[in-house]
Amino acid sequence: MTDPSINLSERRTFLGILLGGVGLVISAAAAWPVWRFLAPSSGEGNLAKVSIQRAEVPLEQAHFFSFHGKPAVVLQAAPGKFAAFSAVCTHLGCVIKWVPEEQEFLCPCHAGRFSVEGKVLGGPPPEPLEELPVALDGDQVLVG
Amino acid sequence: MLERLYHFLEVRLGIRDILEQNLTKYLLPNNVNIWYTLGAVLITLFVTQFITGILLLVYYVPNPAEAFQSVERIMNEVPYGWLIRYLHAVGSNVIVIALLLHMLSVLFMGSYKKPRELTWVSGFILLNLSFALCLTGYLLPWSQLSFWATTVATDAAGAVPVIGDALVRFLRGGAMVGDATLGRFFALHVMVLPAMLAGLVGFHLFCVRRIGISRPPFGEDYRPAEVKGYFHHEEHPGGIPFFPNYAIKDMAVIFFFLAGLVYLVFFAPGLFIPPSAFEPADPFTTPEHIKPEWYFLWAYQTLKIFPSEFLGLAVQGLVMTGLALLPFIDRGSERRPGRRPLFIACYILGILLFVGISVWGHYS
Ligand code: HEM
Ligand code: FES
Repeated sequence: MTDPSINLSERRTFLGILLGGVGLVISAAAAWPVWRFLAPSSGEGNLAKVSIQRAEVPLEQAHFFSFHGKPAVVLQAAPGKFAAFSAVCTHLGCVIKWVPEEQEFLCPCHAGRFSVEGKVLGGPPPEPLEELPVALDGDQVLVG
Repeated sequence: MLERLYHFLEVRLGIRDILEQNLTKYLLPNNVNIWYTLGAVLITLFVTQFITGILLLVYYVPNPAEAFQSVERIMNEVPYGWLIRYLHAVGSNVIVIALLLHMLSVLFMGSYKKPRELTWVSGFILLNLSFALCLTGYLLPWSQLSFWATTVATDAAGAVPVIGDALVRFLRGGAMVGDATLGRFFALHVMVLPAMLAGLVGFHLFCVRRIGISRPPFGEDYRPAEVKGYFHHEEHPGGIPFFPNYAIKDMAVIFFFLAGLVYLVFFAPGLFIPPSAFEPADPFTTPEHIKPEWYFLWAYQTLKIFPSEFLGLAVQGLVMTGLALLPFIDRGSERRPGRRPLFIACYILGILLFVGISVWGHYS
C-alpha cells in the first residue's frame, strides 16, 4: 500500500490541501442556505389588488390599510371620488395621518403636510406622496 | 497588511508565543491514535448545534398555541428551513454517538485515572448536560411525540421516594405537561443549559491542556506515567506536533462525521424522527407505542424490568453515580487493557448490556 518514495510530509501536505479545499467548498455551500434562510420573504403575491368595502371610506374620511406589506391610505375627498396613496411620508418615512378638519394629511414627525392629491403643502417632505391606482367595483374599492 | 496586523498583536499580546505553545510546539505522544480526535469532533458538532439553534430561534415561537405551526413553517415555507432543522435534530443524535465513543475510548485507555479525575468528572457532567439538552429540546416542537415522550420521562421522576410527586410537578411546572412545561423547557434549552455547557467545555479543555494529554497505553515501550504527589504537566518530548500533523487528522475525522451527519439529513432523517413527530400535541389522546429516543431506551427499559419503579430508578442512579466517580473507585495506576482483565470484562459486558437492554426496550 504505502509507496516509500512518497514521504509522510508530502502526504500530509496533500491531505491538508484536500481538506482545506473541501472545507472551502462546504463553507460556500453552507453560506447560501443560511443567507436564504435569513433573507426577508419578498412580499406575498405582489401583483394582487387589495379590495376595501366602499362603506369603510365615508365622504371626507380616510381609511388606512396594509398594501403589500406597507401602510397605505384610501380617501374619498369628494362624493364618489376616491384616491389612494402610500401612507409613508417622503421625508424620513414616518406614517402620515389624516386631519379631517383641514382636509389634509399631516406627518407628525416633522410637520410635513400633504393635500388630498398627495401634493406637498408645507414642511420638509421633498416629493408628493406615492399615488396608487384606484378602481371601483360595485361596493368595493380596488387598490393596486 | 496582514504582516502589520500580526506585528501589532505580537507586540501587545505576544501571540507568537501562544501560537507556538499551543500549535507547533504542543507535542502529542508519538503513539497518539485516532480516538483522540473525538474531542475536536465534539467541539465542531456543538458549534454547529449552536449556529443552527440560533437560526431556528429566528422563526420558532415558544408558545403551545403556535409552536407546532411555527416548526411546520420552518419546514415547509422558510427557505432551507428543513435543512437547518434537520441538521439540528439529527445533529443531536450524532453528538450522542460521538459522546459515547469519546467516553468509551477514554474508558478503554484508562485515561480517566489519576491525575485526570477532574477531566473525567467534568466530561461526565457534560454527557449529562447533553442528555438534558436533548430532553428539553425534544419538547419544543410540541408534537404528539414531544408531548408524550416528555410526559413519560418526567413521570419517571415520580418513583423517587417521598418527594417524587413534588418533583414531577416541579419539572412540569404543573400537574400535567402543558404551557408551563414548555416555558421552562424553552428557557433551559436555549439559555441555561447551553451556557452551562459552554462554561464546562472550557473547564474540560483547560484540564486536558493543563495536566497534558495522556499517552495511549499501547506499544512495547509504554510505561505507566509516574503519578506524583504534586502538580506535574505530562510532557511528550520527541512527540508529534499538534499543528500541522495532528490538526490535519482532527480535520479528517471532523469531515468524516460531518459527512455522516449530512448523509443522514439528506437520505435518512426519518431514522430519528418517527411519524408522531408530525402530529400536533393532543393532551387527550395518547398515541400508540410511545418510546423515548434510542439513547434513553436503556433507562426506559430498566424501569420496566424491575418489579418496582423505585428499584429501577435506584439501579440507574447507582450506575450513573458509579460511572461519575469511577476514577475514585478504580484507583490502580495500570492503564494497559491487557493487564486489566477484570475492568475490560466489565467494560465489554457493560456495552453488551447497554445495547441488549436498548434493543429489548425498542422491541418491547
Ligand atoms: C461536550 C462534550 C465534550 C467535549 C467538547 C470534550 C472535549 C475533549 C477534548 C477536545 C479532549 C482532548 C482530545 C481528546 O482526547 O479527544 C478531551 C479529553 C478528555 N475527555 Fe472529553 N469532551 C467532552 C465530553 C467528555 C465526556 C462525556 C467524558 C467522559 C465521561 C470525557 C472525558 C475526557 C477525558 C478523561 C479526557 C482526557 C483524555 C486524555 O488525556 O487522554 N469528555 N475531551
Ligand atoms: S418624516 Fe414626515 S415630515 Fe419628516
